[in-house]
Amino acid sequence: MKVLAIDTSSMVASAAIMDKEKLVAEYIINHEKTHSEQLMPIIEELLENCRISIREIDAVAVASGPGSFTGLRIGAATAKGLAHAHNKKLIGVPTLDGLAFNLPYCQGIICPIMDARRNQVYTALYKWDRGNFYKLKPHSAVALSELLEELKAGEEAVVFLGDGVPVHREAIKDMLGERARFAPRNADRQRASSIAELAMEALKKGEGGSGDDFVPFYLRKSQAEREYQKKHGGEDRP
Amino acid sequence: MKYSFVSTGPGDTLEFGIRLGRFLQPGDIICLEGELGAGKTVLTRGIARGMGIDCYITSPTYTLINEYPGAVPLYHFDLYRLEDGDELYHIGGEDLLYGQGVSVIEWAPRAEDLLPEDCIRIRLVRLAESESARLIELTAGEKYRALVEGVGKSESTGY
Repeated sequence: MKVLAIDTSSMVASAAIMDKEKLVAEYIINHEKTHSEQLMPIIEELLENCRISIREIDAVAVASGPGSFTGLRIGAATAKGLAHAHNKKLIGVPTLDGLAFNLPYCQGIICPIMDARRNQVYTALYKWDRGNFYKLKPHSAVALSELLEELKAGEEAVVFLGDGVPVHREAIKDMLGERARFAPRNADRQRASSIAELAMEALKKGEGGSGDDFVPFYLRKSQAEREYQKKHGGEDRP
Repeated sequence: MKYSFVSTGPGDTLEFGIRLGRFLQPGDIICLEGELGAGKTVLTRGIARGMGIDCYITSPTYTLINEYPGAVPLYHFDLYRLEDGDELYHIGGEDLLYGQGVSVIEWAPRAEDLLPEDCIRIRLVRLAESESARLIELTAGEKYRALVEGVGKSESTGY
């Protein structure tokens, strides 16, 4: 069983090949957002270097959102094209699940935050318990202040990661003090290997289809919420 | 922060754009407000020239976004034909706004919810005394302090 995984949901462009035994290859470039030019050459190079033909791949996995609109579309279009042309399964893995999975067996709460601009973040909460990975809170786009208020009420350490960290590090420290931790550089951004690992799990459970009807999800605030905000100005709903 | 300037005609407006263009940084966002013929396109031409972009600038009314390559690229938006921020989002506008270029936006209120709080806002207002005179009013927040001061000073040194 071999999986080709792609994550272009942010500034990072990453692709990986994983088989049953190991992570065979991974490519991460966190430089400029030129995914449309880079992604296919990266995939080609990975396959060539490992002497793997795309035909030997069993499934294509892709970070399905939230994230940058253009990035998600590039990832989805590439994954769908490859899966369709070679008649492979396609598996969408939520971006934040992949990001949180960069920290296996971590203590405390894992809180990936992606910068959604205007002091908003895309976030979800995760936790490891006795070797199992749980999602405590589903994906949402929320004001950072709202997220921090919620976290402040708890007692556990919270480990933050993602491209929202450099934007909001000080605000997080101010609010949570010693309870706030930040993932190290090797784990704090999207990695296709995490998408690949979660896709392997999904495949085992028999998930994944032709991908013909796959669409990425963008997670913008609902129209109603934005209307409310416009009318009442400034901060989010109480 | 505020700066205002009286333009006696398109030449002055162009020159103001050039002065402004020299101070722009990647990620800066300018919202232009002014009726038809107020000089928005002329001002944008000046901005492009000030940024060292040597392209002929035309109105993006029908294209929605015109992109001009340069050391720092310029994205010129006209949102008149859009309903709301959702539509701008779904043509990838947010990735441009928060990318590595400078954005000049006409009809910005259409997509206010996609914009950062702190933008450079420029109003071009017709003056009664002459057909071609305009009051150009620039307001911006703290992020643009150095820019507003720089543009103000550059007036006296005369470019």
